[in-house]
Amino acid sequence: MTTAEHIPVATETRRLSIRAVVQNAGIGLALLLMIAFFSVASEHFLSANNITNILTQITINLILAVGMTFVILIGGIDLSVGSVMAFAAVVAGKAITLPGFGPTELIILAVLAGLMAGMICGIINGAVSAYWSLPSFIITLGMLNIARGAGLQISGAQTIYSFPFAFEEFGSKLVFGIPVVFLVALSLVVVAWFILNRTVFGRLIYGIGNNEEAVRLAGHNVFWYKVAAFSICGLCAGIAAIIYMARLNIASPIAGIGFELNAIAAVIIGGTSLAGGRGSVIGTLLGAFIIGVLANGLILLGLSDFVRQMITGVVIVVAVILDHYRAKYAGS
Amino acid sequence: MSLATPQPLLTVRDLRKSFGGIHALDGVSFDLIAGEAHALVGENGAGKSTLIKVLSGVHTFEAGEITLDGETFQPASPNAAKLAGIQVVHQEFNLLNDLSVAENISIEALPRTRLGLLDRHAMNACARTALDAIGLSDVDVTAPVRSLGIAHRQLVEIARALQSESRILILDEPTATLTERETNRLFDILSRIKANGVTVVFVSHHLDEVFGMCDRVTVFRNGKTIATEEIADVTPPDVVRYMVGRSLDETANTAPGPAPDAACALSVQDLITTANSTGHGISFDLRKGEILGIAGLVGAGRTEVLRAIFGADPMQAGEITKDGVRLTIQGPRDAIAAGFGFVTEDRKDEGLILDMPIAANASLVDLASVSRKGLLDFAEERRMATQGGARLKLKYGALADAVSSLSGGNQQKVVLAKWLASCPDILLLDEPTRGVDVGAKAEIYGILRDLAAQGMSMIVVSSELPELITLTDRVLVMAGHQIQGTLDRASYSQERILQLAYGQAAPTERISA
Repeated sequence: MTTAEHIPVATETRRLSIRAVVQNAGIGLALLLMIAFFSVASEHFLSANNITNILTQITINLILAVGMTFVILIGGIDLSVGSVMAFAAVVAGKAITLPGFGPTELIILAVLAGLMAGMICGIINGAVSAYWSLPSFIITLGMLNIARGAGLQISGAQTIYSFPFAFEEFGSKLVFGIPVVFLVALSLVVVAWFILNRTVFGRLIYGIGNNEEAVRLAGHNVFWYKVAAFSICGLCAGIAAIIYMARLNIASPIAGIGFELNAIAAVIIGGTSLAGGRGSVIGTLLGAFIIGVLANGLILLGLSDFVRQMITGVVIVVAVILDHYRAKYAGS
Repeated sequence: MSLATPQPLLTVRDLRKSFGGIHALDGVSFDLIAGEAHALVGENGAGKSTLIKVLSGVHTFEAGEITLDGETFQPASPNAAKLAGIQVVHQEFNLLNDLSVAENISIEALPRTRLGLLDRHAMNACARTALDAIGLSDVDVTAPVRSLGIAHRQLVEIARALQSESRILILDEPTATLTERETNRLFDILSRIKANGVTVVFVSHHLDEVFGMCDRVTVFRNGKTIATEEIADVTPPDVVRYMVGRSLDETANTAPGPAPDAACALSVQDLITTANSTGHGISFDLRKGEILGIAGLVGAGRTEVLRAIFGADPMQAGEITKDGVRLTIQGPRDAIAAGFGFVTEDRKDEGLILDMPIAANASLVDLASVSRKGLLDFAEERRMATQGGARLKLKYGALADAVSSLSGGNQQKVVLAKWLASCPDILLLDEPTRGVDVGAKAEIYGILRDLAAQGMSMIVVSSELPELITLTDRVLVMAGHQIQGTLDRASYSQERILQLAYGQAAPTERISA
């Protein structure tokens, strides 16, 4: 039995055991059961319209959760992504409503500004927490407030709107019923998977989460990798901000409140260990789907949003308990 | 000495305890006479700490008998031991640093008012009495423990131990972190405690202290008690001889060793590590192809020297010259680039990424050669791991198995493979065979000797004297962050090394004085 279930290795030499398959497929199986249940319980659930809905709804959370996966894999946490997303949206909103430019220029400018804003917040989170070896929980809690305040200050607490038509069109465009924005999120999952599984960078992200000292003594610059993980998380918040603007055609400084918790939930449900070093972005994809499908299905069943919130909470706790047992069996 | 009372307070008969396959206690017998100061001495891992843990109810034992006051004694928990009057002051402090001295002293039974609230007045008064009793009237009971120096913390811990009814006070290396003046004060206090009828058990690596304050001494070796003697009847060299054992199994290094004219590979000048507060550094040279051992007790500063050379910790001062070129090493990265490798003491904490596959651990130092433009080349990684594994006779199921699935010896081989992958010319090894079985040990020694014969130079820190004697060409003995002496292979003996390590640089003179 190998405990290296989530750790990238060449598949040819990986020994398969029934238990390993069950463990990897566990989250997927839970998702399938959930989908099966809602399909039976509600006739609307599997309709093309509703599927489009679900995919649209999970897009933002999925993008934030992909970035969060990097941070949690190194044993950190980023509580600021919701606020950073709003801040990036405000910055991009200011850029996209500048006078005197054509629509194409404005869109390029806004996208660059939004991504930069998110990434800079992430670099600050990573640099401060890694340089002084401070818990990222506290540093990103600080950034949560700083970014929120900055967004409100820059926007004068006003929602920014009236964007170029092409931008709004991108936000609502469908390809075979699949929202383009979801495809953007999905491609981020693929890129993140590739980085984590096929690159030296990804290998060391896992390594740092497992045993930072061993990685440091092997001559690698742990500080740099930590900053990189947080800046990827910030960059994803910036991407989420652009998608959010394109979908809703506004840039609101009070957007994204509490989004960090959903992103963390998706990562944890997806089987990534909060202690770091173990997990996968594919798990995160499934985790985001579980949260999205659950929310959508419960609403279709006519349950109130309050009940939905309670059930989501239970799912998070159960996922962590299951992960506890999984880690224990994997260790034996 | 007045040891006329023949009735012992505590007797231990043929005590046995093992962890996994390792016999930590393998026949321990001794007794304590009420009111005596009794020293327990022996090398690291000889069984002293395990015995203390059994007596204080932390561990249970498998065979043997303990009696206290003539009745069978088998403490099921630390609390049970405390109730029986056995108090332990551990090597690592168990104080709550942010609480006051008084709160720490009373923590086991905090006084309450009738309303069930904390009775601060009673608590402080109680603490005052406890501190005064051991002559610590200069310590403010309301001060937080954090504000006290190490010595005072130690004494507060003793005051706490004596707070409850105690008949036996066990001190596990109480002077390890104390200065000489603080040590003297501790001894004054201990003799007062003894005068009050408390039996003191004293574990120490410093034979001077043992001879200065104890009535009797029991020597441990390999989990057994070798002898119990009246201090008046023995000399420090006698005790060292007991610790080593009379039959020295000489499995000496028969490899030729470096040529006498081999070039100097590494020169360390006046190196002062951050843990070294003496202000005096150490200097030594390492020749090409030489295996240099560093012996010494825990806390002598051996590991710190390796870590400083490798850049794992900063150094206060010192110069490192390799192959005639002065190096500035800012961190492990620079050290690796300069041709160093570092097999760390604790493979679980510092050496391996346990959850990761064998292949990924083996390539951790030299990721550059198993990747192209940042992309991992898994085929190349497997090829390298297979090659490295074959070279070290690594036994494994599949390279993709987590390294945690391997035995201790094979895990250590993965650590070696990792460092050998970057082809270092100087390998630093800290306790290279700790937790490794005998067969694998011999294999690792063979591998290291082969590497040395090919010109690799090594510095080996080890607490196992047979290991140093078997493996090395020359041994530095350290104590108190200083080199106490250097022994060549011709003059190797466990006794000589131990004498130097215990600061008994000239034992014969001392005895005649």
